[in-house]
Amino acid sequence: MADEVIYEARGVSKTFGSVTALDAADLKVHACEIIGLVGDNGAGKSTLVKILSGAHQPTSGTLLLDGQERRWDSPADALEAGIETLYQDSGLCPDLSISANVYLGREILRPGLLGKLGLLDHKQMAVKAREGLEQAGIGVAGGSRSVSKLSGGQRQAVAIGRAITWARKLIILDEPTNHLGARQSAEVLHVMKRAKEQGLGVIFISHTLPHVLEATDRIVVLRLGKVIADAPTSTFTPDSLLKVITGLAGT
Amino acid sequence: MSTPQADPMTKAGGRSNRIAEIFARQDVILLCVLIVMVAFFTIMNPLFFTSYALANILQDFAPVMLLAIGQTYVILTGGIDLSVGSALGLSGVTCAMTMRSMESGGSPVAATILVGLLVGVLTGLTVGLVNGFLITKAKLAPFIATLATLGAGAGLTLVITEGVQVAGGPTEVITIGNTTYLGVLTLPLILVLLVLGFLWLMLDQSRFGRWTYAVGSNTFAARGAGIPVKRHLVKVYALSGVLAGLAGVYVYFRLGSGSPTSGQGQELNAIAAAVIGGLALTGGSGKLSGTVLGALITTSVLSGLILIGVAPNWQQVVVGALIAGAVALQQVDFAELRKKVTHG
Repeated sequence: MADEVIYEARGVSKTFGSVTALDAADLKVHACEIIGLVGDNGAGKSTLVKILSGAHQPTSGTLLLDGQERRWDSPADALEAGIETLYQDSGLCPDLSISANVYLGREILRPGLLGKLGLLDHKQMAVKAREGLEQAGIGVAGGSRSVSKLSGGQRQAVAIGRAITWARKLIILDEPTNHLGARQSAEVLHVMKRAKEQGLGVIFISHTLPHVLEATDRIVVLRLGKVIADAPTSTFTPDSLLKVITGLAGT
Repeated sequence: MSTPQADPMTKAGGRSNRIAEIFARQDVILLCVLIVMVAFFTIMNPLFFTSYALANILQDFAPVMLLAIGQTYVILTGGIDLSVGSALGLSGVTCAMTMRSMESGGSPVAATILVGLLVGVLTGLTVGLVNGFLITKAKLAPFIATLATLGAGAGLTLVITEGVQVAGGPTEVITIGNTTYLGVLTLPLILVLLVLGFLWLMLDQSRFGRWTYAVGSNTFAARGAGIPVKRHLVKVYALSGVLAGLAGVYVYFRLGSGSPTSGQGQELNAIAAAVIGGLALTGGSGKLSGTVLGALITTSVLSGLILIGVAPNWQQVVVGALIAGAVALQQVDFAELRKKVTHG
């Protein structure tokens, strides 16, 4: 927890026409820390996530990675810098295999001339995808199976495993426990903690407050585009957190 | 994730094997359809099963196959390219007009043919790039964008030819286009088969192919994984355009003249081949092997119908029926699959 700040948003705003979706939001993520980002629908969570991951550019405000001001023109820039984002329900290509998904956008090409022609090294990707997933605490049999044949929980496991495999600084998980059963959710939380132990910063967005209270170190509450609370998780109770989110209590 | 999930995974494995078997059988089903059809037409008219008829079918197959390869890539991204027929017609006449004017200007035959070929292909490429631009920059739906270029391309072809066949050009063209080896193969046909092999390999084995599937399977995930989705779409539509250009050149070599109407309705045959071959119009799923069989089925039906005495005017009616039938069958399969996945 005493680790350095790895990623920071300073006074980040985003307006769409006359609508202010995000209003001068501040957010700091330390290494080895899980942040819970919560808020009601329309509070600006998605907008903030999209800015942090490079999908949107902020109207004003700055992003700092390792203390240096950065600007992402596309999600690819943020990925390159070590920031992985797992979007709600849509992180994978269902028609592709597990290992193809893990290596999507980062395909390993064959050595030599064949690689220069863009030919894929299927074998190496299969082996390495399996290793990566295992290291993230996810055991998946049959990496050549198409993702469309996996259950919701298994898909989510692969998606998170993929993000952890590639993240060098930070992973952003948008509703990773959505639509999952109790046991599968617990596994997701476990994998998240493991990522934190490996030195990553984690931003966990969820509507499921018990999950947030269980897994996070700090909670940031957004309401109507503003950060209205940012405090260690231990200072919240389920009741007080709900009140802050719904605007029934200040901090 | 760790051990607790091992069990459901293995179960899913068994289920997926069964589904995989059904999918694997799709090729087999198509092959059976083709064999039954060939048998039917041969019984109706024994001429159907001769090397002469086969050469004819392959000659018809080649341009349809070129368009259908492009269509396969495009449909895998979740789009559609209606402009390929128009692009074929336009490329054929620009190629023919170039060769005619170079020939009358006294250029050497080899140079004339090469430049003509290049102009035809570049014409197709231009149509493809316009499609890509309309879809990624002007944000038109692929259906609308390529419908627009279908209309514009067909119109432009009539404008520059004034609706008249572009005859003339080197006589070597028609010789190259119609000299057969081993009874059935022509030089252009061999080139088409090489293009097919190359693009087959590219779709199955290269990063370009992988990204094509990814974009159609889940555009959002593809973008999130850092794939330059828009640039990739432009490339795919450009590829489809280039193939249509090649098809235009092919038809010119076969007929020895550029016909302004040669591309009419060809998009229908290309889409039919892809859809009969089992490509999902929603993108992300399907194989080029299916499209090849689909193209063989489409062209054999058309030749077969002529050989058994059905008037050529019925051709498009039959192709339309084939598309409707193939898509309907696909939907039956999907409904069953879904049931199996959820209840199985």
